[in-house]
Amino acid sequence: MSVLHRVRLPLGAITTVEVGRRVEPSDVLATRRPPGGGTSLPVATRLRRPAAATAELVRAAPGSLLDAGDLLASDESGHEVRVPEACLFLGYDADDGTALVAPLGATQPILGHVRGEVTAVDAEAIEIRVAGALVTGVGGSGAAVHGELRMAVGEPGEELRAGAIDVGATGKIVIGGSRASAETLTRARAMGVAGIVLGGVRDKELRDFEATQQRRREVGVRGDFAIVMLEGFGKIGLDAGLYAWLRSHEGRMASLFGERALLYVYDADPPPARRALARVGDRVIAHRRPFAGAGGELVRVLDLPHVSASGVTARSGLVRFEDGRSAIVPLANLEATEGHDGA
Amino acid sequence: MTTVSTELALLIDVGSAWAKAGVIGRVRGRWRLVAHAAQPTAWGEAELRRSLVAQLDAAADSRLAGRHEELLAGANRIECHTAQRPGRLAVVAVSRELSGATARRAAEAAGWQVAEFVTLDDGRTLAERLATLQGAEVEAWLVAGGFDDSRSPRALEAAALVASARLLDGGPVVWAGSALLADEVVARFEDGAASAVANPRPDARREEPGALRDRLQAILRRSVAQEDESHLSPVAFARAIGALAADGGLRVLGIDLGARGAVRVLAEPDGSRAVSVHSSGGLAGAAAVGGAAGRVARMAGDAGDEATVADVLQTLRARPASLPQTPEELAATQAAARLQIAAIVDDGGPGPVDLVVGAGRTIACAPHPAQAARMLLDGVRPIGVTQLAIDAASILGPIGSLSDDEIREGMTLLSDDLLVPLGTSVVSRGGEPGEVAMRVTVHRPGWPTPAPVEVRVGQLQVVPLARGQEAELLIEPAPGVSLGAARRSPRVQARATGGAVGLILDARGVPIGLPKRGDDRRAVLAGWRDALGRELERLP
Repeated sequence: MSVLHRVRLPLGAITTVEVGRRVEPSDVLATRRPPGGGTSLPVATRLRRPAAATAELVRAAPGSLLDAGDLLASDESGHEVRVPEACLFLGYDADDGTALVAPLGATQPILGHVRGEVTAVDAEAIEIRVAGALVTGVGGSGAAVHGELRMAVGEPGEELRAGAIDVGATGKIVIGGSRASAETLTRARAMGVAGIVLGGVRDKELRDFEATQQRRREVGVRGDFAIVMLEGFGKIGLDAGLYAWLRSHEGRMASLFGERALLYVYDADPPPARRALARVGDRVIAHRRPFAGAGGELVRVLDLPHVSASGVTARSGLVRFEDGRSAIVPLANLEATEGHDGA
Repeated sequence: MTTVSTELALLIDVGSAWAKAGVIGRVRGRWRLVAHAAQPTAWGEAELRRSLVAQLDAAADSRLAGRHEELLAGANRIECHTAQRPGRLAVVAVSRELSGATARRAAEAAGWQVAEFVTLDDGRTLAERLATLQGAEVEAWLVAGGFDDSRSPRALEAAALVASARLLDGGPVVWAGSALLADEVVARFEDGAASAVANPRPDARREEPGALRDRLQAILRRSVAQEDESHLSPVAFARAIGALAADGGLRVLGIDLGARGAVRVLAEPDGSRAVSVHSSGGLAGAAAVGGAAGRVARMAGDAGDEATVADVLQTLRARPASLPQTPEELAATQAAARLQIAAIVDDGGPGPVDLVVGAGRTIACAPHPAQAARMLLDGVRPIGVTQLAIDAASILGPIGSLSDDEIREGMTLLSDDLLVPLGTSVVSRGGEPGEVAMRVTVHRPGWPTPAPVEVRVGQLQVVPLARGQEAELLIEPAPGVSLGAARRSPRVQARATGGAVGLILDARGVPIGLPKRGDDRRAVLAGWRDALGRELERLP
């Protein structure tokens, strides 16, 4: 199976790949020179004109990228103002007669973070066909990373503990279970783990961890790290079927996109599919408390709408959960899972 | 209405998370709602139709058994739906609190989803701002900053940021800043790309977002929602509320709180209406509101701690079609609804209104009518005497997608099933805590007049008044207590109509004040819940 992945390009990026090229996650697809802090460049004084009257002598359009020595402004008598270094021209201030420019920094690579074949290239994006499977999560945090998949829990509902993160996890995408505390996430980051995939995480713990990430960036500590939740928010385990599928692909290369909540696993067979409307006999997974993340079988659909403990009346079904519980659950809170035996 | 020549009509409202359908048919010569179903949109129309047929087979004339599938297939279909995708906008402004906040509110009120929000005081470096904007996937750009009497260099810098980040032909640009800079800013973009609109913050004290909102609405229609506009839910809902107002000579506030977006309609007795569409104003949007989890936890009282509520809010975002199964999750969901309603109503408060109509699954399908009333009362705080009702069968949207004449005819034909009345509220403001806020005498024709009901500041009381009953109210507000309108007499006379909850006497103030101590707050909230919960009916 294959899926398409789109890498959006910033303005001024120079592509280094062409259609048909095979790329690896760490390959450079394009380069760019990002603008740094803005500086003012005197224009009116150098043309010896009033600030307001100089506005019409500015030759560059706001937003244009200029190379060192490019013309910024000139008058009819041949006086010129050129930029001393490559920069982004932001605008001219007619009050003080200066131009606001942002000098371009060092060339930076743009990585695709996926393995595949380039199928389209244009000014806005590069499209890559990825041979593998895509799993979409419900939320995430952090940048794009890649690495081998490594299982760190023995059960899909097991919490990922800090002790389970060791040097063997460095550079890997770690598969956790039902939750990871801020302490575990911090340890994983410190051990050089590339990313973590979980069934769920508590929103507060994720936000606390994001705050530490932000502080690290502010003091210049670099290092990408991504987290993706596949099932929900809270202490929610991975679906047993999905866990089994991930376990069967341990050691495979994968790419994890935190904020976009995407996980690509290369050369993988399709993951267990999900379907919104469950039928009797389907294996299902529940999405709301008190059964969030629990898998089971939909045994029967009730003839009449059922009133749940919250008082909400809805079409419901009897589910026999794999942990031994049985309960009536609104069908809207169930998804049918297909493929890959998780039992 | 075009459906009169047919036996059945199918009304469908397809939302982003839930689809609702109703079947209307002739019952003993009158058009009535004969079946209603709601389900996650992802289940598909075939399943929705199957639910309706099952209901009709069980309840309709037995001679029609087995024919309902065919009858539904031939029925007039009246449909509205949410837009296929929201319009995405980048907002760049000088100040987060002034120009930025005003621009953002206007954009969201016009129906845009603000995908990127950059201000020159957001603590980011120029390079970070540029990187953010260059990565923005948006259909339009909004730039704001500077008061009308100034040539702010910072405002020019905001415009320059957009000029630097936006690709050629990268969507329209709207300048909503200093009028003195308009020509200069427009000239920074290719011909026809940028346009200026009246500054929504002409000075530090005034906020006039109307022109900006109108312009953004027009651009949204032109560039994104290239669909038959009358079938878009926000448009259809607004037209239905306008018709309700014109038909009854009332001032009507309609609130449609969806899974993702929300619509607020204020319709005048002449049918004119002011509409704001809040693309992130629905339940899912609560997760993105700063500090929402803490506020919801405090407002709900019994939804769990802040961390638990934060998980619930994220679940509402991630799985908008799912339903709360536990009382705690329901309490959090309904408190989030109150928070979101208050946010969209705050955007230029409505003033006194005659009728508040609540729509959207969370309000209209609340397990108990008192809960629906509470969401409307706490969210809107309709000061004075106001009728409350809900669109329980999600009929208003489809009806509003008809032509003007057909809307009126449809409302007349379906008058019994159009809205579920919750009752009448009397909301006061002011007074001293613990003191009497108002005395209300409720006189029902044919009944002996009881002693006045005393309502103290901070209290909520419910007087039974069933659907179809009317009462004359004599309200005596205490000194310093207001019912909204200026008055010359110490007494106010008003008429109340009954409903599923009754007559709600609410002296909790505007806005509602809550005790700081957790135990006190929970006790107060439980008292209000119990007072409202003394209703007899359940919603259909």
